[in-house]
Amino acid sequence: MKKIGPISLILPLALFLGGVLIDLNVLGGLFDSRALDYLREGLITLALILSLPLIYKQRLASDRNIIRGLRTLFYLILGTFLLLLISNLEPFAAQSLSTGHNVLYGSLVNYFILTAWALFSSLLVLVILGTLRNLIFIKQKKSTALHFFLLMLFLVFYGVLSITNISDLDFRFSYRLSSENLGYVLLFIVINLMVLNSFRVAWINYLNRRQKMTLFWGGMILVPLQWLLYIKFHTANPAALFSPVLGRFVDLGFLFLSIYISLSFIALIFHLPTAHLFDRQIKQLSSLHTLSRAISSEFNLERLAETTVELAVQVTEADSGWLALAAGDSAPWRLAAARNLSTTEMDGGVPEPISRWAIAQLRPKLINHVGKSELNVPMSVWKHDVQSLLAVPLRSGEEAIGCLYVGKKFEYGFEQDDLDMLRAFSEQAVIAIRNARLVESSLVRERLEQELRIAHNAQMKLLPKRMPRLPGVLLDAVCRTANEVGGDYYDFFRIDENRLGLVIGDVSGKGASAAFIMAELKGIMEALAPKHHSPKELLIAANETLFGNIDRNVFVSLVYGIVNAGAGEIVFCRAGQCPVLYAPATGEKVHIIEPKGMGLGLDEGENFAQALEEYRQTFRSGDTFLFYTDGAVEARNARGEEFTETRLVSLFQRHHALPPEQLQARLIEEISGFVGSARSHDDLTFVILQAV
Amino acid sequence: MENFKVVRLDGVNLTTLKIIGFLDAHTAPTLEEAIQKLLDEEQVNILVDFKELSYISSAGLGVFMGFIEEVRSKNGDIKMCAMSPKIYRVFDLLGFPTIYQIFDKQEEALATFPQNSAASSSE
Repeated sequence: MKKIGPISLILPLALFLGGVLIDLNVLGGLFDSRALDYLREGLITLALILSLPLIYKQRLASDRNIIRGLRTLFYLILGTFLLLLISNLEPFAAQSLSTGHNVLYGSLVNYFILTAWALFSSLLVLVILGTLRNLIFIKQKKSTALHFFLLMLFLVFYGVLSITNISDLDFRFSYRLSSENLGYVLLFIVINLMVLNSFRVAWINYLNRRQKMTLFWGGMILVPLQWLLYIKFHTANPAALFSPVLGRFVDLGFLFLSIYISLSFIALIFHLPTAHLFDRQIKQLSSLHTLSRAISSEFNLERLAETTVELAVQVTEADSGWLALAAGDSAPWRLAAARNLSTTEMDGGVPEPISRWAIAQLRPKLINHVGKSELNVPMSVWKHDVQSLLAVPLRSGEEAIGCLYVGKKFEYGFEQDDLDMLRAFSEQAVIAIRNARLVESSLVRERLEQELRIAHNAQMKLLPKRMPRLPGVLLDAVCRTANEVGGDYYDFFRIDENRLGLVIGDVSGKGASAAFIMAELKGIMEALAPKHHSPKELLIAANETLFGNIDRNVFVSLVYGIVNAGAGEIVFCRAGQCPVLYAPATGEKVHIIEPKGMGLGLDEGENFAQALEEYRQTFRSGDTFLFYTDGAVEARNARGEEFTETRLVSLFQRHHALPPEQLQARLIEEISGFVGSARSHDDLTFVILQAV
Repeated sequence: MENFKVVRLDGVNLTTLKIIGFLDAHTAPTLEEAIQKLLDEEQVNILVDFKELSYISSAGLGVFMGFIEEVRSKNGDIKMCAMSPKIYRVFDLLGFPTIYQIFDKQEEALATFPQNSAASSSE
């Protein structure tokens, strides 16, 4: 927006005041001459010409807001009309006509009123021309600026020509062309230019239907009012009484305004019948656009469904709408979002026959009269006020993932056009929903992974951080979980300086549920170990506690032993766990020690106690014990072969003399080598005890 | 993942479940469903044929534990037969033979069910 420099305002005003100054002399009766009249008109003309840039520069003209410009015009015209009625200028005109003498100088009051009117009406016309220019220039073409400029130019020309009216002087430019005739020619050109400029009414296209309707009613008042104003001003133009040049300019300015708004009004009337259609297409386009935007920004399925239904209802101008999404293969469809559905209708969900109907279609379908369609019964039971229905299944490939419905309260509410529109709409919605689901599932997965990582860390903390020291023996242990969390467990309990409790166990099942029971088991063992110095007693007590606290289909297998380093012996029980391997330092064959026993949690007590056998084994320096869980023997390679107890025993046979730490690493290495690229499916734990 | 299948063979007062393939934590629900269905039908005399089972994990063993109490409270039983040595070893380590009757051959097992009129022929 260009700023109006002070010069462009001050200079015309100064010139205008110059004219007024001359008038004051006349009023004072100092002198009065024809030459002064010309000087006065000359100054005023110059002032007018210099103020013309105001049309181009004024604030209103650079404002692109159509409605604001139109509203300004409306108030200006209404205000001027009222002002004209109040000030009643007719007497001046009548006086002027009857006396043939200029009423301007009749009295000081006359002079004041007429000068004020002249100044006001000239400024008014400048503002009006600026506003019209704004409207005309909204859709600018090559010749727009030229035509408007020519109009302004000829307006001034025609005004200047009126100088000849000051006296009876009639310039004769040539034999045929007097100044009067020239005036007609100019007027002809001016009116043609006005009409030419008045065809530039493209701004009507930019209005929406509501605005067009408002404008239509506004125009009904404005157009006749403007013509009245024009006629009134034409007959009693105060500006003309002040100065003929200004008079003509103001007169023509009002004429241009009258022509322009009349032609605009006619154009508007022609636009009205298509306004509805035009409006709808714009709304459809913008809805599609909004939906496309939603696709890229909205990953919340619920909000996305809301947006989809809202836009679908808006675009088809429906009374209600809802989106049902498939919940699974056999589950009924879920009502994901709805518009104008009562709580009872929402709670009931979409009735089966209606959603099934959509699945069967796989094609958009329009029901003009629900009462006469196959959906009559379910619809009237569920939502009786829907009389016409449009259903568009959301298709992902050949599969319907949902269905979008819009309904109207009257029959024949939708057209083919709506159906096509909604189809395009649904294709966008499918993409959006699919994206949202992908994001959702990846978020869920991420959260699960995070939780499992936390669980894994928590579980690792349940295992001993370091090996206990017991004089005369070396200990080492390792636990590898197949998943983030597992059910394998080992622990040590100090009994006295020579004795140590040792446990290795395996909870049935896998993952989180096994891990919880493992934590429970740890608590039970920790509570019982100090109390019982016989493995059998301890396990009987542990079984009793555990049996009451776990599901029947879960059990725990473990070996519990008490190592007495001073006496060089170990006493242990095998409660369903894998056998214990014992390799004497002498190098003789590895003993597979498998005392009788039963898993914990399988039996209430009697059978368990009966089955459990306590085993005592003495050891000497260099003897090694290997405790393991079934993950070690059931480890499988890519061909599906198991590692087996046989392989483990022979491996232990070869390497039992290694220090426990190296032996443990060796065992893990060998088993990992055997498994290769295959995914391990069970936890694996070793505890090694070696006498020094 | 390896496959697992349960084949149901109904006798007069006895149902044989042939379990085939790989029974672990992932496939255990299949077996659970099959046994639950028998209980819903009030069929409590169940023989499980392990002949074609190649692997059983602790979760698989848990399935039988989950039902045995209910079955026995209704005067029925779950009996097992035709285990491979490897699978029998898993049962044995855990002390299952003290809880369940496990038979080498299907015929031996069938004979132990009351009022049984041979379901083996339907195979």
